[in-house]
Amino acid sequence: MLLQHIANGLIQGSLYALVAVGLTLVYGVLEVVNFAHGELYMLAAFALYMAFAFLKLPYVLAVGLTMVVMMGLGLVLSRTAIVPHLRRSFETTVLATLAASIILQNGARFVFTATPRQVIVPLEDVILSLGSVIVTGQRLLVVVIAALSFLGLQLYVRHTRMGKAMRAVSQNKEACRMVGIDVRRIASFTMILGAALCALAGSVVAPLYDIFPAMGTTVVFKSFAVVIMGGMGNVPGATIAALLLGVGESLAGGYVSLAAKDGLGFSLMILVLLIRPDGLFGRRVRV
Amino acid sequence: MRMSRREWMLVLAVTGIALLLPLVVRSNYLLHIMIMTEIYVILALSLNLVLGYAGLLSLAPPAFFGIGAYTSALLSLRLHLPFCSSLALAGVAGLVFAAAIGIPSLRLSRHSFVIVTLSFTLLAQLVATKWTDLTRGAMGLPGIPPAAVLWFTVTSKTLWYYFLLGLTLASLAFFTLLVRSRLGRAIQTVREDEILAQASGIDTWRVKFYTFAVSGLLGGVAGSCYAHYITFIDPSVFDFYYMENLLIMVILGGSGTVWGTVAGAVIFNMVPELLRIHPELRTFLYGIVLLVAVTVAPEGLAGWLRARRARQENIVQEEVGRA
Repeated sequence: MLLQHIANGLIQGSLYALVAVGLTLVYGVLEVVNFAHGELYMLAAFALYMAFAFLKLPYVLAVGLTMVVMMGLGLVLSRTAIVPHLRRSFETTVLATLAASIILQNGARFVFTATPRQVIVPLEDVILSLGSVIVTGQRLLVVVIAALSFLGLQLYVRHTRMGKAMRAVSQNKEACRMVGIDVRRIASFTMILGAALCALAGSVVAPLYDIFPAMGTTVVFKSFAVVIMGGMGNVPGATIAALLLGVGESLAGGYVSLAAKDGLGFSLMILVLLIRPDGLFGRRVRV
Repeated sequence: MRMSRREWMLVLAVTGIALLLPLVVRSNYLLHIMIMTEIYVILALSLNLVLGYAGLLSLAPPAFFGIGAYTSALLSLRLHLPFCSSLALAGVAGLVFAAAIGIPSLRLSRHSFVIVTLSFTLLAQLVATKWTDLTRGAMGLPGIPPAAVLWFTVTSKTLWYYFLLGLTLASLAFFTLLVRSRLGRAIQTVREDEILAQASGIDTWRVKFYTFAVSGLLGGVAGSCYAHYITFIDPSVFDFYYMENLLIMVILGGSGTVWGTVAGAVIFNMVPELLRIHPELRTFLYGIVLLVAVTVAPEGLAGWLRARRARQENIVQEEVGRA
């Protein structure tokens, strides 16, 4: 049982990691907390549902389409709620992204109604067993995708021109403007990257749970805890914190109670803030 | 800082109109909207105190509101406490929770503070939904007794209106005295320049902590009134819907002013009700209003008016200079 709980926890943690890494990346580069991040995840799940239900696309193509749509939405979001406010006070960006989150969530409620929807994929029927641990193919896919995107992101940020520009913006925006890096372009690009990660998270997880307009709130609630525990803006920190929270929740849910499971993220966040206000991995290095 | 004669006249005029309104308004529906407006004024004050005066963006007011509502309802239903004690204890509950959240979160960067306060609201709703032994979860708590003050029970809507008018005016007086006190001036100094405030010998952490705790108190009181007025509560009292309304009221009304907040609460509570906009559509439209507002007029209506007045004075001075 213990091993099964840990395996389930790692799967859940991979989901948190996919969402939280985008959130912490945007914060690390732009110092903006994107409160509409959970809505991107929710819309990704709905986009996948639409691609399945109406276009009857196979899973891989549907995921591809979802990613394209969500990257477009990330661009729109950055142009309306983030880039215009980059030089304003921090309250402005918080309120603008909050407003965007409200608009997207209630817009989704109008279009899709509150009825939960399901996506059924063949991989969910593939059952793999490793000793006493049983996982379905789709759940394993969540872990694989999370690991691949984390690796890809690290390589990208370290080795490409755009990745280097992102790191430069995270260190000093003024200096970037001086040497000719277009901060607004980097901002939009970072948001697109965050949206792509949400698209992946939404598309791999959508077949596992119900899809409904408020689904982003629950996940982003956990992601906030993960981002703070990992140290705001710290991508590897967020990944480790996400896996820890996933396993912790799975164990708490299995051995204590369901209420303990839901409260765990918040309690851990407060605990970390009391002991190490800069997060578990308290170096102040970003990205 | 003393109130000018003009301000006194304004206070008297508004109070007079508020006292006479129920004599003109006979419809129960309109009275209900007016009562909700009074509750919103108290809640908006609690947000304005932290956001407008201390410059801290707190997303926890719905949490204190809901905690106040649940505390008061549970004390009345389970322990049969009289209304006045439930109301007072609901305020205390708001204060205690605000203090408990304030201690870890106020030391941090402003970003983490926003995240912690938002997470706290989400957690409060989660607890109210899941801890069914105490709160009956989504079934809610029906049959909360109406308010009873001293020897008479507040049953009719008109009585509720007057009772809450008294409470709202008391909160406004308390609020005005607070922001004009030594602590109030310290709060505003912290908002303007935290490092300067520290250099002037202000214990900035303590000032922020007291402010946040008082905002919890106001939220708890508003929540208790709401619970006893509506007589039924469920976990939706923690909904973000309230936070959105409050942000619109305080920001568009003009954060950091007392009058702006009152005007904001009255306008943004009355207008959508009277235009009969469906609550769900209202949430959507308010999202757009909020986005446009922070993009176009980040300092709200009061800030916009102030800027306009300053511009006019400049023009006048230029003309005087030219002449």
